Amino acid sequence: MNNKQNNKSQDQNTEKLKEIPKWTRKYAQNRTLTTFVLIVMICLMSMVIGVPLALTMIAFMRGNMILFWGCIAVLAAIFISLIILVSKFGGKNRGLIDQRIDKWIYRKEGTATVPVPKLTKKKKWSDIVSGVIILICVLGSMYLSALGYISFKYLQPISAIYFVPFLVFVYFLQRPRLGPLVLICPILYTLHAILILAGVPIFFTGNLGILNMLVPLIGYTFLAYVIGHVYSRYALKKLKGLTHLEGEAANGD
Amino acid sequence: MEIDKIIHEPARLRIMMILAGLEQADFTFLVTTLGLTRGNLNSHIEKLESAGYLKIKRSFKGKVRNTSYQLTQKGSKALAQYWENLDAVRRSGQP
Repeated sequence: MNNKQNNKSQDQNTEKLKEIPKWTRKYAQNRTLTTFVLIVMICLMSMVIGVPLALTMIAFMRGNMILFWGCIAVLAAIFISLIILVSKFGGKNRGLIDQRIDKWIYRKEGTATVPVPKLTKKKKWSDIVSGVIILICVLGSMYLSALGYISFKYLQPISAIYFVPFLVFVYFLQRPRLGPLVLICPILYTLHAILILAGVPIFFTGNLGILNMLVPLIGYTFLAYVIGHVYSRYALKKLKGLTHLEGEAANGD
Repeated sequence: MEIDKIIHEPARLRIMMILAGLEQADFTFLVTTLGLTRGNLNSHIEKLESAGYLKIKRSFKGKVRNTSYQLTQKGSKALAQYWENLDAVRRSGQP
């Protein structure tokens, strides 16, 4: 009887070991903090450039030349820093900044990567073409909105028509590097559009109307990455539960 | 039916299974995930490498040194075969 029970529990343990690759992959796919930090850095950089740029225009229009030249000096300093940054982390060193952030964030856990899809000529072109199409769609809808053809209220639902398929396309293009949790962003973006069409007032009006696309897109992307990070903690816990060796097995051969 | 003794050792089986789900992993990841001592992990890695099941990749990106481990094709095949054999043994009820 005892022998039978032992065999059964041994079988269960062996079956559990087969789950190791699954949890390892889930953990690696959802190590999203690096991308999260990169997005925050890009947002901060956009602000660092955008604020003095807007101030320069305002100062020029109001004739405040002291502020104008002050902003020009700040902008020049920012562009010089950008050139230094690109020369350090661009070209041959492409990906180095991601690697450094990754090493800094996950220094205690180490590095684990899932296969990155091979960049074929066809894929490279589909990346470029889809990027150009999205850019045209974004600029086009913003332009039509500024002209008054699209109400600010409908800017987000209209943008969902091209953003959602684009985000799903990016997911399929980047598989298995990205896990299915990134699809939270297009799902929430679609729900947001549906709620606006149903009459829920979750949109900006007036001067802030232009943020109707940007805020949900960045917000849901952040949310997807935060959920991804939390899931990676869970996956790591599961993985350690399966792989952690104790006693003799850990110390001896 | 012969069970691969190199893979059958618990620590080495886990190393192989971890790498089977990944493109590559580094030493710190394997140490923290397995809870092995560094010396012990090193000796298991050496055994797997000498069997041709694992490939060590040393690279530099900028000034950062990177050592990572990857399962070879031979390793993947051996791991699949190991499970096949083990399942067959379990089905037949052999010790």
